[in-house]
Amino acid sequence: MAVNQTTEGYELPCGRDVETVWARLDETDAHQRDCPHCTAARQSLLVLRSLTEVMTADESAPSPGLTGRIMSAVRAEVRRGDLVELPSAEPGGARISEAAIAAVLRFAADQVPGVRARRCRIHAIEDDPGAIEVRMTIAVSYRHFAGALDRIRERIEAAATGRIGVRLARLDLTVDDVYQP
Amino acid sequence: MTVELTSDVPGCEAHVASQVIAAIAVRAATGTSGVIRLEPGLVGLVGSLVRTARGQLTRVDPAPTDGVRVTGDQNGLRIEVDLVTSGQDQVAAVAGRVQRAVARSVHDATGLPVAEVTVSVLDVELSR
Repeated sequence: MAVNQTTEGYELPCGRDVETVWARLDETDAHQRDCPHCTAARQSLLVLRSLTEVMTADESAPSPGLTGRIMSAVRAEVRRGDLVELPSAEPGGARISEAAIAAVLRFAADQVPGVRARRCRIHAIEDDPGAIEVRMTIAVSYRHFAGALDRIRERIEAAATGRIGVRLARLDLTVDDVYQP
Repeated sequence: MTVELTSDVPGCEAHVASQVIAAIAVRAATGTSGVIRLEPGLVGLVGSLVRTARGQLTRVDPAPTDGVRVTGDQNGLRIEVDLVTSGQDQVAAVAGRVQRAVARSVHDATGLPVAEVTVSVLDVELSR
């Protein structure tokens, strides 16, 4: 069985190998100037050399936004893991991350005077697409304590349907702190 | 991945690369009211950086494809779009608008049927 030598040069139809063309890239001889095969090979090698020179000379530091883009991509990767079905009439469907729902509902709770939202956990209901269960812990001021839970419930329910488009099947609220005034 | 296009010219075949379809989808999605930006994952970010580097070498400015994945074939494309919406609009409504806009734009530009567009809203910007 014959084995080709891997170090053997690539021979052009005119008989000259590419190694020779590469060696005479800047100092062409009479054959290389007239031969169409050598001319085509030389053009390709010139492009290759210019590209490698550009890459070698590129010493630019990562752009300031690159770190932000990487962190954003990492966050997106994490959020893609926990998705809740949204109502959709189009083929393919639509979904939203649990973290995004939690952010919207915490924001809604914070809009109630005297209320600070803390942890918010979202669970999709498997048998009921588009419906969610929410568990939220909050801190409430003394001054606004009376009736606060009802106001929070209204705001969160309105945000779930109005801002997101999901139905609030269950909401568990835990007041785990009180603050002044 | 490339997808064969319908051609009426005898002896002629036309194909379109998946990143071209992705670029059309990105343009349609980002132009939809209520969409803040598309959100590439780590794989999408790496692909984007490679395309940008290649574009610098060849001196072309590649159209963005971040946040969109295309699969399927000429019988039906499946397009996935990951994005961030504005807190001013209902998320489900924005997602529906994106599904319709992407399917219409890709079909109008390529003539290919779009079997489904899946929209994943990964974040909602509440400050806007």
